[in-house]
Amino acid sequence: MATEVAPAPAARSVARVAACALWGLETAMVTVEADVANGLPSFTVVGMPDAAVSEARERVRAAIRNSGFEFPLRRVVVNLAPAERRKEGTGFDLAIALGVLRATGQLSRDAGALCLAELALDGTLRPVRGVMPRMRRALAVGVTSAFLARDNAAEAAALGADAFGFTSLREAVEHVEGRARRSPAPPPPAAPRPSHPVDLADIAGHETPKRALEIAAAGGHSLLLVGPPGTGKTLLARAIASLLPSLDPDEAIVASAVHSVAGLVDPERPLLAARPFRSPHHTASHLALVGGGSPPRPGEVSLAHGGALFLDELAEFSPSVLETLREPLEEGAITISRAGSSATYPARFTLVAAMNPCPCGHAGDPSVQCTCLPDAVARYHGRLSGPLMDRIDMRVHVPRIPYETLREEGRESSRVALERVLAARERMRGRLVESGRRSNSELTVAEVRRHCRLTADAEDLAAEAVRAHRLSARGFHRVLRVARTVADLAASDAIRTPDLALALLLRARA
Amino acid sequence: VIELAPGDADYPARLRDLASAPDPLWIDGELDVFRARAVAVVGTRRMTGYGERVAREIAAACARAGVVVVSGLAQGIDSAAHRGALDAGGRTIAVLGEGITLFVASVHGRRRPLVPRIRASGALVSQYAPTFCAQPWTFAKRNATMAALADAVVIVEARAVSGALITAADARGLGRTVFAVPSAFGSGASAGTDALIADGLAIPLTTSGDLLRALGRGSRGSEVKDDPILDVLVIGPAGLDEIASRARLSSDRVASRLAALVLRGAVETLSDGRYRRV
Repeated sequence: MATEVAPAPAARSVARVAACALWGLETAMVTVEADVANGLPSFTVVGMPDAAVSEARERVRAAIRNSGFEFPLRRVVVNLAPAERRKEGTGFDLAIALGVLRATGQLSRDAGALCLAELALDGTLRPVRGVMPRMRRALAVGVTSAFLARDNAAEAAALGADAFGFTSLREAVEHVEGRARRSPAPPPPAAPRPSHPVDLADIAGHETPKRALEIAAAGGHSLLLVGPPGTGKTLLARAIASLLPSLDPDEAIVASAVHSVAGLVDPERPLLAARPFRSPHHTASHLALVGGGSPPRPGEVSLAHGGALFLDELAEFSPSVLETLREPLEEGAITISRAGSSATYPARFTLVAAMNPCPCGHAGDPSVQCTCLPDAVARYHGRLSGPLMDRIDMRVHVPRIPYETLREEGRESSRVALERVLAARERMRGRLVESGRRSNSELTVAEVRRHCRLTADAEDLAAEAVRAHRLSARGFHRVLRVARTVADLAASDAIRTPDLALALLLRARA
Repeated sequence: VIELAPGDADYPARLRDLASAPDPLWIDGELDVFRARAVAVVGTRRMTGYGERVAREIAAACARAGVVVVSGLAQGIDSAAHRGALDAGGRTIAVLGEGITLFVASVHGRRRPLVPRIRASGALVSQYAPTFCAQPWTFAKRNATMAALADAVVIVEARAVSGALITAADARGLGRTVFAVPSAFGSGASAGTDALIADGLAIPLTTSGDLLRALGRGSRGSEVKDDPILDVLVIGPAGLDEIASRARLSSDRVASRLAALVLRGAVETLSDGRYRRV
């Protein structure tokens, strides 16, 4: 890297420009080398370019000519080093163009910055996906400035880099030559906290489901809402967004990088502030949910990192797609293995799922008769595998609410509940301060033993639960983590009987 | 599977009350089960949580009093009755509307594990040859056989049109006592049994003690469980909020007591997150 930053004496035949390759969330610095030599006019890009990178030749040739420069009628070879990994996407255009200009002497200095932009035929710079993770990589190796399309500048500036946003190739050249210096983009303001469309005060009754939402929001525990259609399961699930605190700065960078790769960031305010809330449809495929493909993209589980993943109509999802959720639910990350490489993406989310109690939806509904045979109901629930249910910490029934309750006033708003969530999270953080983990759902077995102290009565209840073979060891630890959160929400140091009892009652599976 | 003709000594005596007794009758199981007192418990396949609890409780009370439970091993109330009797350590007879061998080979779901349990202490019975395939009319004829095998018939839950009502009519024709469980207030699931009671064709049954007394087996102190939560769950399964509001207890009290009841096995959790009295 030092060679690019050092000022070069004069035009030279091999120019080097820094760029960065992206595979999913994985990045690697790439040196774009351009060589111009005598011979029959040709333009070749080597170093495992994919189709989009090879096409860069046509864009670069046109952009250079249309920006008032001359494309050399000589033999031009561009190498993307290291050459052993395939390069994807259009982000190398600017680096190749600057390399060619430098090698032909039309540019008298080295760029000395990470160059990431696509070129239009008229020389305009276009934004690319995934600037944030690539800028992170560059900063890690000591490249602190970047040349980008104007719409991408905020993404790099958010990470503290000197990000220069240009509208055209010409502008970038003028800047490097020092004829028209520009100043780096200011760090963008964080995205505003969106006003949440659903507030707990909008929902009548449902005390236990609301409480479970609060527990899920505070401790990151997974939640399944079961009830007839039209009873407010979806509304409840959406209300969790109003109970989640803002992202911490380090979490925000990781979450924003995932969104940057998926091309989902606001160009003005690329740094996320609110925790993501993702709700993929039940027809979602493997790739959509866990990510992958070519070029690899993060799936919904990674886009929900740090926030909540809502799966409505859980039993309608394809069973094999649901099975892939087991790894992120357990590890907080998803490993995607492809031919030749495997990548691990962050995927720590709070799962909120909803389903009907039976195929017709009306089992247990006092107002509509259920028409399902008992075996059909059992089959319906059988679609959710044991191992998946094992990872669902809370299962709550969402009943139909009688009219009198619907008319009741004086419901608690999300703001009040959020205060409790924040206080509980503060307690959790105090316990986990040295580990880097944050919530009770992430407690290790040793930490469960250390931090989940029970009162004497609760100890009796726990002993009885294990003795009655109602709980496996893993189930017991999961119950204790939830009970820990219930106690934290009540600002209690020890887990009391009602806390443990609630966690036991909400546990879906022994 | 053995084959009996009405002339055989082991042939169930009560079947001779029928105008045309099944000839032959195929039986798989214990023959002495036909000599004990017996009650048929039948009802809809699309049962409610309430119906399931009632069927189980009546069958369990019969089992404890040494009364054999007869039913049709269909989904719903029939299965709940068989299961209730077996879980209480009783004996039970399943009267099938198709061949025994065919049924045993093809039954699946939650009824499959019931088959060996029924056969171990009671019997599977059919008036159709072992590989005979079920037809719509075979179930109607089977209902008459079921009524004849019992001393009394209890209809637990039946819609306005239901096979259980055929069993009731057959039982009346044979002079068997017919009981019907009235519907829970506001529930349409028992329109058929309510009609039987309203027309004076069945005796309303509100406790299993009444049934046993009618059979001359005085109730063995039907357990009165004095617990507000269990009382609430008598009507059917309920979620935490519903239990708390009906029992007028704080949610913390409900959680602690309900958890204790679940651990004791008095209450179980359903797959939709509600709680049911066992």
